[in-house]
Amino acid sequence: MNLLSVEDFSVHYRTRRGPVRAVDGAVLAVPAGSITGLVGESGCGKSTLARAIMGVLPDAARVAGGRLMFQGADLVPMPERARRRLRWRRMAFVPQTAMSALDPVQRLRGHFTEVLCERGGMSRGDAVGRAEELFDLVGLAPERLADYPHQFSGGMRQRASIALALALNPALVIADEPVTALDVIVQRQVLDVLRDLQARLSLSMILVTHDMSVVAYTCDRVAVMYAGQVVESGSVRAVLERPLHPYSMGLTHAFPDLAGSEAALVPIEGSPPSLLDPPPGCRFAARCPFAEARCGERSPPLVEADGHAVACWRADEAADLRALAAQPAVWAAMAASSLRGA
Amino acid sequence: MIEARNLSKSYGPVRAMVDVSLAVGAGEALGIVGESGCGKTTTARTMLRLEEPSAGTLSFDGADVTHLRGEPLRRFRAQAQLVFQNPFDALNPRFTIRRSLSEPLQNFDVPKAERADRIEKVMARVLLQPSAQWLDRRPHELSGGQLQRVVLARALIPEPKLLVADEPVSMLDVSVRAGILNLLRRARDELGLAAIYISHDLALIRTVCERTAVMYRGRVVETGPTAALIAVPHHPYTKALIAAVPVPRVDQDRAALPIRGSLSDPPPSQAGCGFRNRCPAAFARCETDIPILRPTDPARTVACHLGD
Repeated sequence: MNLLSVEDFSVHYRTRRGPVRAVDGAVLAVPAGSITGLVGESGCGKSTLARAIMGVLPDAARVAGGRLMFQGADLVPMPERARRRLRWRRMAFVPQTAMSALDPVQRLRGHFTEVLCERGGMSRGDAVGRAEELFDLVGLAPERLADYPHQFSGGMRQRASIALALALNPALVIADEPVTALDVIVQRQVLDVLRDLQARLSLSMILVTHDMSVVAYTCDRVAVMYAGQVVESGSVRAVLERPLHPYSMGLTHAFPDLAGSEAALVPIEGSPPSLLDPPPGCRFAARCPFAEARCGERSPPLVEADGHAVACWRADEAADLRALAAQPAVWAAMAASSLRGA
Repeated sequence: MIEARNLSKSYGPVRAMVDVSLAVGAGEALGIVGESGCGKTTTARTMLRLEEPSAGTLSFDGADVTHLRGEPLRRFRAQAQLVFQNPFDALNPRFTIRRSLSEPLQNFDVPKAERADRIEKVMARVLLQPSAQWLDRRPHELSGGQLQRVVLARALIPEPKLLVADEPVSMLDVSVRAGILNLLRRARDELGLAAIYISHDLALIRTVCERTAVMYRGRVVETGPTAALIAVPHHPYTKALIAAVPVPRVDQDRAALPIRGSLSDPPPSQAGCGFRNRCPAAFARCETDIPILRPTDPARTVACHLGD
């Protein structure tokens, strides 16, 4: 059963030069009781999609089409008053830096009582008990509720912000790059908190990140975004071990793996197209070593088989393309042409 | 090429770098890893003499540069270049790429007649070809990966002997990082540069550095060939650092880290090992004696009382 399904969903930003199609026909299913990674590079639309689901898009953005089916209802036509009732209670947000979510002049306890009493209708006394329980849940000492946010380290603040998101038992937690600003040991500790909470509370979560290793460590499922679209989704194992999209194939050779072979890294040179005026066909075509004429003409639909979906015209040749994609020379030839006169 | 001996740097009461001894030869690359606040950036800045050391000595190409000032310091800086972390603000947005590359040549008194040739060569080295298509553009017309190539070109154009890169790819998208790392490695090999890479990312360091130094609370706690140090870390902190790195595979070790507390919890006093309050193996001696780096085999050192 899907808790959330994103159907052909688009968000445009108004700019002086015209609308930027930040999210353009994205398709995504988030099953209940799992952690879904939403992974992609800067500007791919992953954060915009996360914010759209939360209903906290910036003023310049507007939903340009599609549906966001959450627990059986479409969020898109819902009035702001109804969306507000969902936030904290049914879905909650963990931002990249907890400092931006926490009020510096309020003690941690105040943040919790505000959410628990005003949003959750709890009594002061119950709220304090619940706040202590939540702190304990994320591995923070309950007496630290008396502290101000600046007295916490980055990792502690991120734990506090996760605890706050869980305050009213939301069905869905959306975390936007929750560990990106943290050092590696603290990052690992916060990811362990998320994994532990998922297991104990069978939490449903969307984890937005640029880091495939974080996805591999933490998530059950993953959706890969590129230039405003979901180009591949499925179980983390399927996408990492049998990628169907050339972009996902390229990524597996593009970044270092501490425990892997010391084979030379192979970049995917070039950059995504402008989303002011995206090209008609596949958006990865200009960087793809396997692109054919049809790839530049028509946009491939997201096609699903066995829970593993991909948007690529050559998906049925994926096994052969994977073998080719493992050869650095294939990408090097592409790189040379993309750096020339880009 | 460059050698630091017992180098220290304090800012008031804050001891950012304590007793650091490191050496990098021509054609070698040394990685310095550690978490934020460990002193790795201070070490890099001091070795470039962007900071003056509080104690210790720094020698470069056989000459003492510890307290250089004025003209000799300027000449040293031409030889020791920094690759900036953030390509998006490392270049003047109003300057064309040509002007950004010309400036260091002017600063370091390269004759006008040679400049165009130098620019041409360096653009070929960073694979921005043909250069005519790039030189008249301004930074906003380039992607992050292309900008970082220009930043690298600007560091290479004075023909330095030492290159220091502080998190050279952390601001770039994953798909293009490898391109910059490959360029850095080639430049070092072909030009015989001494290179120092500063990063929190051991996986990245492994791809570009033969040797690595791990820093914790301002001190070097372990050094060795990168592959050996990752395969069999000796210091308990290095062990935790390696265990904490997630890898892009479903099947991986998810056991609890062999470390407690956080970097922000200081040990109770300056005496003893700076890691003892987080160390799973700390014992009485760790409370009283500061461990000094000692060799464990001809290529490795560790600052830990365990096994001493």
